[in-house]
Amino acid sequence: MSWSVAREQVLECCVHLPEETNWPGWLPRMAFSPRGKAPRGDGLLVVFLRGAADMLNMVVPHGEDAYYQMRPTLGIPHPDDPRAKTTERVVDLDGFFGLHPSMSPLLPAWREGHLGIVHACGAPDDSRSHFRAMELMERGVTDERGPASGWVGRHLASLDTGNASPLRAIGLGDQAPRSLRGRVPVTALKSIADFHLRGDLQARARMQMILSSLYQDDERLAGVGRDTLDILDTLKKLDPASYVPSGGARYPETDFGMGLKQVAMLIKSEVGLEVAAIDLGGWDTHFSQGGSLGLMSGLMDDLAKGLAGLHADLGQAMGDVSVVVMSEFGRRAYENASLGTDHGHGGAMLLLGGQVHGGKVHGNWPGLAEGQLFGPGDLAVTTDYRDVLSELCRKRLNNPAVNLVFPDFTPTVTNVFKSG
Amino acid sequence: MSLSRRDFLRLSGWVAGTAAITACAPAYGRLSQIGVAGQMWPAAGETIFRKLGRMTYGPLPSERQQVVDHGLVAWIEAQLAPQTLDDTRAEIRLRPYDGLALEADVLADWERDTVVDQLRRATLVRRQYSRRQLYERMVEFWTDHFNIYAAKGDCWFLKVVDDREVVRAHALGNFGDLLLASAHSPAMLVYLDNQANEKAAPNENYSREVMELHTLGVASGYTQTDVMQLARCLTGWGVKRHFWRGKFTFDADQHAGGAKKVLGRVIQPGGEAEAEQVLARLALHPATAQHLAAELVGRFIVDHPLVAAPELVATAADAFLESGGEIRSMLKTILLDGLARPDFELPLKFKRPSDFVSSALRLLHVEGDGGPAVQGHLSAMGQGLFDWPTPDGPPDVEEAWTSNLLPRWSFALELAQDELKGSRASLPALLESVVASSPSEILTALSLLLLGRAPASEVANALSDGLSQSGADTPEEVTAIMAAGLLASPAFQWR
Repeated sequence: MSWSVAREQVLECCVHLPEETNWPGWLPRMAFSPRGKAPRGDGLLVVFLRGAADMLNMVVPHGEDAYYQMRPTLGIPHPDDPRAKTTERVVDLDGFFGLHPSMSPLLPAWREGHLGIVHACGAPDDSRSHFRAMELMERGVTDERGPASGWVGRHLASLDTGNASPLRAIGLGDQAPRSLRGRVPVTALKSIADFHLRGDLQARARMQMILSSLYQDDERLAGVGRDTLDILDTLKKLDPASYVPSGGARYPETDFGMGLKQVAMLIKSEVGLEVAAIDLGGWDTHFSQGGSLGLMSGLMDDLAKGLAGLHADLGQAMGDVSVVVMSEFGRRAYENASLGTDHGHGGAMLLLGGQVHGGKVHGNWPGLAEGQLFGPGDLAVTTDYRDVLSELCRKRLNNPAVNLVFPDFTPTVTNVFKSG
Repeated sequence: MSLSRRDFLRLSGWVAGTAAITACAPAYGRLSQIGVAGQMWPAAGETIFRKLGRMTYGPLPSERQQVVDHGLVAWIEAQLAPQTLDDTRAEIRLRPYDGLALEADVLADWERDTVVDQLRRATLVRRQYSRRQLYERMVEFWTDHFNIYAAKGDCWFLKVVDDREVVRAHALGNFGDLLLASAHSPAMLVYLDNQANEKAAPNENYSREVMELHTLGVASGYTQTDVMQLARCLTGWGVKRHFWRGKFTFDADQHAGGAKKVLGRVIQPGGEAEAEQVLARLALHPATAQHLAAELVGRFIVDHPLVAAPELVATAADAFLESGGEIRSMLKTILLDGLARPDFELPLKFKRPSDFVSSALRLLHVEGDGGPAVQGHLSAMGQGLFDWPTPDGPPDVEEAWTSNLLPRWSFALELAQDELKGSRASLPALLESVVASSPSEILTALSLLLLGRAPASEVANALSDGLSQSGADTPEEVTAIMAAGLLASPAFQWR
């Protein structure tokens, strides 16, 4: 049997019902007292390199003889090494450190002063366990004690920016990473296309229409209903496939590149994004790590091209964006017998943004010589990653409550970020 | 609400029809329908629907009818004695979850994902199918109050034991017993780091939270010194690591010697008994009574109860203290002195994701496995089960949840279109018995089922516009659109 629906038919059920009286306005609208209330600071992008990236081959201390002694095969040739092709040598930054050649897409950002590096940076934990180290680092704690939430989650919870957007914090991927977990809801997106109602086009359009009229006059949910529908509309118009980045930027055609592209799209479309987190995996290079070319070089190519794409695409907007690249720990200074490197200790952080004290390798370099190494032959940690993140919170994220973000931690000034 | 006799008969036909359809479902499927089959659609109005909604995971027609027949007070009293309510239909559905009854050292050898998954599924099954609805509500209340994050350390299997032997064992019992059980619970000791609380390096985490969150409440007068002193009492409370892995142990070697002083009282050296003595005192402290009463009134009656319902909080706190910490007495006071009084106007509360999902599943008689699809939706809404990292537990105030509507809309759409993996909504089957009725009657029926009242005119307008645009012309399509719309509507977000 066929059903044709007339509006009158649907309405008929309502005619003899009493007036709706059940949306009480009496409930006092509490000013829920947050720990801090301030306008939002920079947009934050956290890039986590899963698997413990070998920072010694990414930001190479070419001025250290010990580096070349410990890495006879894997070492990246010195900038002046005549035996290597120019394209396979370290790209010098400051006479002592240089970038792996695959990282050279980031040179423009370095020259503009937008890329800063903190070397010999990491966590106090020396378990050399990926699982444990990632968990502790994402929670921002020294050991297993302490808050189970993530440091970004605590940042969001301790700063009320008056932003109720469902896209205030997003994790690119199936699940929001541990660092984002906490009291503030986080949206996990595999892609922008995920932020929609499921079903075919027609069903979605119909549902959106129904929702828009269901919510438009609701006493308490009209605002958030409208905001959510607006974001749906905005995002519907954002098609990553046909998006043309600004500034001649080109993102690599990888999951990471696509993820960064979508972060840029969200930042530009002003949908309330404050924090995005994205992972790049594959860094656990025990075996055939490669040197100037090879396995890890490919990962760095993806990383550098992706970040360079974001930097160019955002252009002026980079002034209000801070990107943090981190990994759970660094790798052994000595190469192993499988042409790879084993789990180590100290690593490095990359910081990208208009307000970074860039063009500089920060931190105290502990050296790689005998007696300067930590444990079984690892780069020592001279800067706690939380020193950098504490300063990020205070100077860039407008959140002075660093003690809530990193409880039981007293940060040391790193001066990696500009103020205000 | 006025319902015509014609509507009334048609709706009862519908309900009988749903029972007939499930005849082809497995045996437990049929059992599950007992209490619905053959029932007349209840004449219970919106007030009863809303009041029942606070004490259940969505009031079934059969429960509404019970209240019509016997009154709300009798219904509450029966619910306060859950062991007298036969719960076979839930128990049969729990049989596949064979990990629930096991000891920690056995579970420790299981697959991590299986253990947590069983606990999550069982939790959803109980909320949907148990007749002991008020008890399940209290289980959720204490699960939140004594929050444990399954992803921390060994909590993924220790929480199963905690759920069984702490929360479920004492949910309606004596708070002192519950607190003591929780303090001895390996899951809690791991979650709040007391297994690392040793005499040479005291760890204050559990000591602080037990005062701030579990008993007295923040800013209720205890000091940092009290926290440190209680932490010293708790040194040596930990968890066995090898033989009897996951069992509570008191390690006298790690216990800090000497007298302690907590909340102005000296604690003589006494090993494990020191902290037990403090916990017993904390359990019956007036600040604890006030804290628990406020939290409970917040859960059952109104957000921010200290502002919105201070008298009820005070009465409940008194009942708690007078009964020596009986949870049942405090709850009964809140329900009978507050909620059940005919003149008591119950303000709306915003459904948390767990309320939203379970009420949809329960009211639509969804045949489901509580599996990853449903759990994934709960996570997307922000409230995965046993997945709250911070010890304050998931909040229960409107402002914590209203910004995240999209995942609710997606769930509504998927469920109504019967596209939710592992769950069968069978809306077309629900429809079969009203096959001759009009869209307006379907809407009324669905609205009575889901909201306890006929649809408001705005809702009817919105859905009728949506329908006329859609070109939907089968009962199935119309029903799916209406059900999705109602589940996603503002009205269904409140209870």
